[in-house]
Amino acid sequence: SLPCTKLKRAWEKDQDLGSGFTVTICNGEQAWSGRVSDNQMTMEAKEAEMDREKYVDELRQALTTGEERVKNYSFDFFKDNDEEVFHFSYEKLLQDISFKLGSVELRKVLDSAEVIKELINYVLHCNAELRDKNEHLQQENKRLSCDRNYSLKELEKYIKAKEDLEQDLYSRFILVLNEKKAKIRNLQEKLKCVDEQ
Amino acid sequence: LSHVDKVSSIFEDVEFCVLNGLHDHPKAELEMGIAECGGLVVQNPGPDTYCVIVGTINVRVKNLVAANEHDVVKADWLLECLQKKHFIPWQPQYMIHMSPSTEEHFAQEYDCYGDSYYADIDKSHLQEVFKRMSKPEQNLPSKTIADLEQRYSWDISPLSMFRHCIIYIDFYARIGDSSTQIHGTSLDVRILELRFHGAQCVTNLNESVSHVVVGKDLQHVSELKSRRTAFKRKFKIVLESWITDSIKAGSLQDERNYLL
Repeated sequence: SLPCTKLKRAWEKDQDLGSGFTVTICNGEQAWSGRVSDNQMTMEAKEAEMDREKYVDELRQALTTGEERVKNYSFDFFKDNDEEVFHFSYEKLLQDISFKLGSVELRKVLDSAEVIKELINYVLHCNAELRDKNEHLQQENKRLSCDRNYSLKELEKYIKAKEDLEQDLYSRFILVLNEKKAKIRNLQEKLKCVDEQ
Repeated sequence: LSHVDKVSSIFEDVEFCVLNGLHDHPKAELEMGIAECGGLVVQNPGPDTYCVIVGTINVRVKNLVAANEHDVVKADWLLECLQKKHFIPWQPQYMIHMSPSTEEHFAQEYDCYGDSYYADIDKSHLQEVFKRMSKPEQNLPSKTIADLEQRYSWDISPLSMFRHCIIYIDFYARIGDSSTQIHGTSLDVRILELRFHGAQCVTNLNESVSHVVVGKDLQHVSELKSRRTAFKRKFKIVLESWITDSIKAGSLQDERNYLL
């Protein structure tokens, strides 16, 4: 088997992996490419005795997700008896055993430089896009946190004003109320005096 | 002023002294008005002067007040009378100063803030009474407000639902050290919500505290609990959702469902 350093998968944009995809493998100098068809996937799912939807999901995890997940899968790349054909197979690792998810026949790409260029361009493009998005999000974050602080300060002001107003009104209310109570006491005393006489 | 045409006799033979007028009703105009209603005008108040009319308070007015011999009345009162062609009884809002005898008379009818003992009051009159009162110097303790609200059943208002709570918010990196406040958590808003709904929020974890509110970060809970064992009055440790749920419901929710 050959050293495999890069793996590229392509399928029609906006379409699901389930409708077939192209695999390109590249070691930095040479590249091999092959296509997995819709029908082939249906077959492989049947072979693995899996629901097709679940099988496609498994493929998605094996072939397209980040480093962490890749650890649970094993990949093999080897030359066929026929000198022109190579095989790329992918297996899922389950504790002690592994079971084959599928394989694809690859052929050497004539213009490997073009494939590598395309690959690097794609990565650079992704990088630029992510950088833009990151910058945008950071600005948005800054703006939101500014807005939040401003709103908190305003709220604090309103609440202080409410507390002060409440204090003020209650204080005045109590003074007026107590005047009335003093008058009532006064009249009560007078009434008592009249009663006693 | 002998040549004026009399339009009314509401002030027949009553003597006034107009010290100064208002911006849009100068002294001369007020004096003319008095004369038209049969009143007499003098330039210096004497023993026969009914009252002194004042538009703006100046040194001369202050001296008169200090002398405590004459009733000093706002020009507004005079204008009211002239407008309505009617002798309107004095009310507290018109009085700048009352002589001792007038004050005694007023004390029968009004309290010292000018609110009548007998007549009902309406919103605008109460506003006037409050406006005339000097600003209270001391803050009412939260307890007094809580008692007052309970006395008059205002404690059902959502705005005072946390009135009986003294709350410590767990957003200081070191418990009770307000200089270590952690900003940017949802507790920033919770404390404002609490205050808006009547709670008293403190920065010190002491015996007076009734509730400790914790956010998503629960790392202080065990320390809070161990501090609590030394307290006679045991505070409750509640999740911040107690606050949001209570506010959403418009009334205090059972804190037992939010205890930690």
